[in-house]
Amino acid sequence: MSDTSRDTRTEGTPAAIDVVDLHKYFGDNEVLTGIDFHVDNGEVVCVIGPSGSGKSTLLRCVNLLEVPTKGKIFVEGQEITDPDADVDKLRSRIGMVFQQFNLFPHMTALRNLTIAQEKVAGRKKDEAIEIARRNLEKVGLADRESAYPAHLSGGQQQRIAIARALSMEPDMMLFDEPTSALDPELVGDVLAVMKDLAAEGMTMMVVTHEMGFAREVGDKLVFMDGGVIVEEGEPSAVLADPQHERTQSFLSKVL
Amino acid sequence: MALTPRKRARISRGIQYAVLVLAAVAVAILADWAQLRDQFVNSEIVPELFPRIITVALKNTIIYTAGAFVFGLLLGLVLALMRLSPVAPYRWIATVFIEFFRGVPALIVFVAFQYGIPIAFPGYVIPGGTFGTVTVALGLVGAAYMAETIRAGIQAVPKGQLEAARSLGMSQTRAMISVVLPQAFRIILPPLTNELILLTKDSSLVYILGLGLADQELTSFGRQSLSEYVNLTPLFLAAMCYLLITVPLSIIVRRMEARAERAR
Repeated sequence: MSDTSRDTRTEGTPAAIDVVDLHKYFGDNEVLTGIDFHVDNGEVVCVIGPSGSGKSTLLRCVNLLEVPTKGKIFVEGQEITDPDADVDKLRSRIGMVFQQFNLFPHMTALRNLTIAQEKVAGRKKDEAIEIARRNLEKVGLADRESAYPAHLSGGQQQRIAIARALSMEPDMMLFDEPTSALDPELVGDVLAVMKDLAAEGMTMMVVTHEMGFAREVGDKLVFMDGGVIVEEGEPSAVLADPQHERTQSFLSKVL
Repeated sequence: MALTPRKRARISRGIQYAVLVLAAVAVAILADWAQLRDQFVNSEIVPELFPRIITVALKNTIIYTAGAFVFGLLLGLVLALMRLSPVAPYRWIATVFIEFFRGVPALIVFVAFQYGIPIAFPGYVIPGGTFGTVTVALGLVGAAYMAETIRAGIQAVPKGQLEAARSLGMSQTRAMISVVLPQAFRIILPPLTNELILLTKDSSLVYILGLGLADQELTSFGRQSLSEYVNLTPLFLAAMCYLLITVPLSIIVRRMEARAERAR
């Protein structure tokens, strides 16, 4: 690729996430049509947009759950789209939280948090349990460590899922519509945990419909539609005074 | 007087029970019990069958079945993973194997092994004697059936499970072992039990190999004793011994299912 200046390693501290001219096809359907996007260290970037706009696909490309058709993605200056990149190692540095939680149903909450620590990070059992308990406490579920996911509410499951990702001590967190599958009264607990994380300085990329969260916590708001980034900027500015007609029409429907 | 639906249902059920009871009574009266007892549970023959029916026949049935099941399960798992592989030739090989061994009678596979292997590889003998032959021959057939069951089980595990595991940095293999397969096997426990019970009964086909006394399992033991005593008692007892294996098996699996259900 010609755009070598994007190799941010030369600029001192590399950006946490740097996406360059990303294209993604599902069959003949182009869902991402040339995305340039970046997240700085310690930044909280919220991505909004109508369904089918490609926002989840963009997020899933960042840890290669979707393989980009064309373009480059750098994580902390390292090109992950390089075919020789160690994807497993890279993923262990990126925490991922799913809309459907995806807790392992055959394991207790505690085991959900320790399994990857032991099998991937190579930590000793005692150390893994200690880290897991600390994270369970952080999300306010220290007393549910021996519960199976089926016995937890959606909000509790999602907080466990966040704790599971945190237990790998990642450098950044990706959230794919983390509250969309929750009953309204459970959304607050999950958002509170995410808010705490942001306050601690965690680098976060959040695909969401929670405009309040974006305004309050986000450092940057990105509006996507039809596979492109239509508009981005400071959240309260974008929400209060959208420049693009498509942004205006979307916000008028959701706000 | 008009009957309410509930009364009508009660009367109709009463008639059904009455018919069943009448049929049972008719069978009990018409049957020649003395003859039956003499032919099926002959008190002179029964003691003579013990202890060999247990120490040799039942034991061998269990050993043969266990060997074939373990071999079949491992091979079936490999075949299932091949079926799901992105590598096309793996899929083709697995598909051909499964279609072949699922479609051919187990009896013919036994014969093919007994007589085909020495012809194909002169001087080669399958290690482990009868046990080795049963393990491989019956295992191949069992693997073909179980491969499809296991594949369905793996596909029934939600895709998000694999994604979550990979997102934590697990390799494909690690995610399979720790996350996908444990859930898949929980899903397919009932059909897998079915396979085990079918294998238990199919192990009787080993009689075609012509067994020495020490290698006899329940059916071959029963058949041999049948011609020895000219009486059905040995076969009847052998049948009871099969139930001795399969019924507790069903109970254990039902317990396991209940336990797994509680953890869900």
